[in-house]
Amino acid sequence: MIFLYIGLPLAVSAVLPLVGKASKRVLPDILANTVLAGLLVYAATGARALLAQGPVIQQVRWLGEAVNIRIALDGFSLFMLMTIQLVSLCIALYSINYMEHYGAKANYYALLLVMVAGMNGLVLSQDLFSVYIFLEVAAVASYALVAYGLGAEELEAAFKYLMLSVVASAAVLVGIALLFGMTGALGFDAVAAGLRLLEAKGVAGVAAALFLMGFGLKAALIPFHAWLPDAHPSAPAPISAVLSGLLIKVSGVYAIARIAFQVFDLPSALSQVLMWMGAVSIVVAAFLALGQADMKRMLAYSSISQVGYVVLGIGIGTPLGVAGGLFHLFNHALAKGLLFLTSGSVQQATGTRNLDEMGGLAKRMPWTAGTNLIGALSISGVPPLGGFWSKLIIIIALIQTGEAALAVIAVLASVLTLWYYLIMQRKAFFGKLAEQWSKVKEAPFWMTAASVLLALLVIGTGLWFATVFSSWIQPAADALAKGF
Amino acid sequence: MTFQIILLAAMIAASAFAVLARDLLKAAVALAVSSLILGVIFFRMGAPYAGVFEISVVAGLITVLFMLTIALTKQGDDVRESKTVKIAFPLFFLVFALIDIFIMRGILAKVPALEGAAEAGTFGEVLWKERSFDLIGQLAVILAGVLSVLALFRKRDRHDHE
Amino acid sequence: MTPTTLLWMILLPAFSALALLAVPKTVKYVRESLALVSAAVSLYLAFALFAVKDLSWSAAWLGSIRLELRLYQFPAFILLGLAGFLFLITLYSVVKMKDHPRVNEYYAYIFLSAALAFGAVLSDNFVPLVFFWEGLLVTLYALISLGGKDAHRTATKAFIISGLCDFAMILGIGIVWSLSGTMTISEIGLKPEGPAALAFVLMMIGAIGKAGAMPFHTWIPDAAVDAPVTFMAFMPAAFEKLLGIYLLARICLDIFHLEPGSGLSILLMVIGAATIVLAVMMALVQKDLKRLLSYHAVSQVGYMILGIGTAVPIGIAGGLFHMINHAMYKSGLFLSAGSVEHRAGTTDLRKLGGLAREMPVTAAGFTVCALAISGVWPLNGFVSKEMVFHGALETGSIIFAVAAWVGAIFTFASFLKAGHSVFFGKRSEERAPGKVKESPWTMLVPILVLALLCITFGVFNKLPLTQFIQPIVASHAEAGAHLDFTSHALDLFNLIAGISVACLLLAFGIHVYGFKRGGNKAYLASEPIHHAPFFKQMYDWAEKRFFDIYEQGVKFLQGLSWVLFKGIDRPIDAVFEKGATAVGSAFTGLLRKAHNGHYANYLAWALGGLVVIIALVNVLLK
Repeated sequence: MIFLYIGLPLAVSAVLPLVGKASKRVLPDILANTVLAGLLVYAATGARALLAQGPVIQQVRWLGEAVNIRIALDGFSLFMLMTIQLVSLCIALYSINYMEHYGAKANYYALLLVMVAGMNGLVLSQDLFSVYIFLEVAAVASYALVAYGLGAEELEAAFKYLMLSVVASAAVLVGIALLFGMTGALGFDAVAAGLRLLEAKGVAGVAAALFLMGFGLKAALIPFHAWLPDAHPSAPAPISAVLSGLLIKVSGVYAIARIAFQVFDLPSALSQVLMWMGAVSIVVAAFLALGQADMKRMLAYSSISQVGYVVLGIGIGTPLGVAGGLFHLFNHALAKGLLFLTSGSVQQATGTRNLDEMGGLAKRMPWTAGTNLIGALSISGVPPLGGFWSKLIIIIALIQTGEAALAVIAVLASVLTLWYYLIMQRKAFFGKLAEQWSKVKEAPFWMTAASVLLALLVIGTGLWFATVFSSWIQPAADALAKGF
Repeated sequence: MTFQIILLAAMIAASAFAVLARDLLKAAVALAVSSLILGVIFFRMGAPYAGVFEISVVAGLITVLFMLTIALTKQGDDVRESKTVKIAFPLFFLVFALIDIFIMRGILAKVPALEGAAEAGTFGEVLWKERSFDLIGQLAVILAGVLSVLALFRKRDRHDHE
Repeated sequence: MTPTTLLWMILLPAFSALALLAVPKTVKYVRESLALVSAAVSLYLAFALFAVKDLSWSAAWLGSIRLELRLYQFPAFILLGLAGFLFLITLYSVVKMKDHPRVNEYYAYIFLSAALAFGAVLSDNFVPLVFFWEGLLVTLYALISLGGKDAHRTATKAFIISGLCDFAMILGIGIVWSLSGTMTISEIGLKPEGPAALAFVLMMIGAIGKAGAMPFHTWIPDAAVDAPVTFMAFMPAAFEKLLGIYLLARICLDIFHLEPGSGLSILLMVIGAATIVLAVMMALVQKDLKRLLSYHAVSQVGYMILGIGTAVPIGIAGGLFHMINHAMYKSGLFLSAGSVEHRAGTTDLRKLGGLAREMPVTAAGFTVCALAISGVWPLNGFVSKEMVFHGALETGSIIFAVAAWVGAIFTFASFLKAGHSVFFGKRSEERAPGKVKESPWTMLVPILVLALLCITFGVFNKLPLTQFIQPIVASHAEAGAHLDFTSHALDLFNLIAGISVACLLLAFGIHVYGFKRGGNKAYLASEPIHHAPFFKQMYDWAEKRFFDIYEQGVKFLQGLSWVLFKGIDRPIDAVFEKGATAVGSAFTGLLRKAHNGHYANYLAWALGGLVVIIALVNVLLK
């Protein structure tokens, strides 16, 4: 029952506010985490079995009658579902402790589940308008979640985020309208067939550009990135983790990839534009990250940079390149989620995000420091962690298609990435322990547990990258290239 | 055709006014006018249901909501601004209008369309039967909205987060 | 000896490292005994493997990426050297590092480095090689940062420079892979032209960067001051040279077939010659013993690169022999400097003097090693340098041999200055009053062992040459090549040896002249050269780190970051701050904030981007 992925979180989230009136803490915690854990297990086992014979279409029944809802599942969607449930589960675990101070935990979990339902729905859609609708579902939930703390800084950030997203959604809608007007259909395959018949290069190009702007803003590619460095730092840490680790990839990169491959068949013009947008994002964001004093802002710029790598990989278009990009998507989701969670632990312990005020925290918070280091090393591409393998594959794919300049850029930017992460490590965790932090304690149990879990996953993905690659990434890349 | 252009121009003018107006109440009214005209355009283009929804929801419901909010949060509306806005806004507006016209001229003639992209059925059938999946999405958006309001307007009893 | 012994050779030090980390600090002697036993076992295994000489082991991972280990003469020899140094350094550290606050970590990193180095040497497949190679970067950073509060800056510098060289190597490996289709090193043999030549250069950068040649050397003198001295004896002196030159030799002999006289050969020789001369000039004017030694470490690498770059058998053999010789005497020199530091508290040349009376054993060890590095007959340095000279002359261009001889002059001159300032001559006024004792035996034994080996490898050079070096060169040279190096290795009565002796005499003269000019202060012996007209400017620039590509690179990147911020980010901000409202009005939802217009900037960027992309897509689609 793949429909569970959308139905279950929505149903539970509708119930949660009522549950929250009865039990402020325990019941919402258990409910939310169980839902996510269950979906994760289902993705890893049952859904995989479903896919053994190839892509699947399931007919949804309501009270015995077949309703006109058919859910489609292929390798790429399953891979994204896995990633979404995995990271969301860790974040929900983390939230058990972190969201104590914010109040109304049940509402928080409800919004989180709605966002997860929206993302799940997005990856299960085979239809342009459904993509748009579920995009909006996840987005509306995320606006509220960014503003959750109700302080001035976060309200402002949430509002700016909302205003820019609305423009992006408008652009997407115009693109959909154009395609609908031309082909009279909304399903991916139908539109693709129609475009092939019509040969309307110019107008299709305008539609593609509109999608690039709309989804590119969601993915925070340069020059559509500017909302991210304001929104991510002010949101509560687990929400920053979900936004950076999942939302920008699902509603941004996934949508671009699906539409570019299945609807437009990735013409070389689109491939070139994607690769160069990716490359620009990688470099400019890396430089901007270097100069930041706010820990979470630096992480936000780093997200922009890493999404650049993913888009670069997918833009290459060759099977290896796409696989490399998707692998990096997975690695970054894990590692960036981990980094934001640990930064939240630091913020909760010290009350500041300013790197210059921190120092020597590793002595008092060894678990946080250790897991943060693992996440940073993975993203910087240090072997044998996962980020190294995915970047290597992308660079090899670039060399194979003859894009030497981009390969060099990718490698050099890796050095920059390592540099600013080392700066962050040094300023926050190593060095002398500043006077005012001599009494801080390690983060509470669930927060540490979630960080450790993610760190173990990061290490595992690196050491057993061959297994991860062949059983999850390769089928996803194949499914993307083949279409439904 | 010319009537259509007049309607479109009036809608754009009303929207511009909504943006520029000093008084929030006037701006809300201008928004209502703009969506009213949009509804009329929908009717003329043969999309009656779209028109109905546009007028009833936007020109009706949303305007009422705005007016209530404005009335309930009466504060001084002195917004500090720079003077250059008065010059810059028309300038950029003109530039964008020109770019728009050129692009439209360029593509409108060349938008091909497939034959036989026929209508599927009545509005009700399309909404309930054909696009049932989207319906789930619509419900989810409403749910998200409700939850957001509940979350953002919650009572802050022990508000101590950093 | 089964094939899995190869795997154990790598895993044993790794497990020891973990165990050493866990040993509690308070229990006496457990840590030291564990380290010594583990090092001894590794040494035993290395000997056993050397006796067997041909083994391989492999495990499949993913396609052509396999964990393959292969042992033949060359890796066996290097392995022996690495294990030997591991044991000696561990013995020395038992005393020297006893009071260091992070001594557990120190031992752990040392053994981890050993494990990674063994793995790198044994790897027959590029992917595990890169993994082990990169792992050494981490332990390098960690070991340097043990030196004190400010050591992390140098540690970062070392990490970044080595990291860049390693990236070059990885790119080179990528090209080799795409040209040959396999990742297994022993199956590759390419002619170095076209893209293969580029791969050669990139991998060469990785190898000489690891070995510490110019221009990738700038972290070594800084580390000499900031890092613990045992680290200096361990890594830059021994391990890094062995690994770097090993890789260079594999590149020139196995992976590519370097032709004598080809452009790449000349490139290597130029780098070698430049390194020899420039580094030794820097060494000459140093006032701190450790810095002086570290510049010499850089300079001697030049001899090795020059030797291998000649691509003729005697030159290659000379370069390889010099590699192991250098590891021995440089290690011995650093260890004796550490001994002096342990007892006298400083290694500043101005503050020492006359220590030969108080620390005779250390002085003896230092002297032997100093004579060896200067190439005095009949020590090992003389033999290997002569072989390199012969090789350089065989290629036809005299200039490389001349550079090598110039290097020899100043090497001897600087060691005369160093030895004179520290051990012989008058006791400096700035020394703390009171006599110092000789260091404990655990510190002296390694120094003496190394000094003894220097003498042995020189006088009885037949042993190492036939056992170690000749088999390596023989397996790579063409049939019928003249391979007997031992017959006239110690021959003094030929032209080349004669010139070398003359160089030594010249160096002696320079030292005496400087000594007298400096008012009989030994540490001023190099001042005449320092203040000579052309040299003075160069030295001033070097002091200001003008030639340090890392420092210049850092300045450049900081400048670029500032430029991007001030030149792009801020101007866009300023422009759109004025026109913000107007831009937003063409689309929905514009909000004007009371105190800043930043939202509008973002919107403007997004819309601008949209226009650009539409244009781009349409242009590209045509």
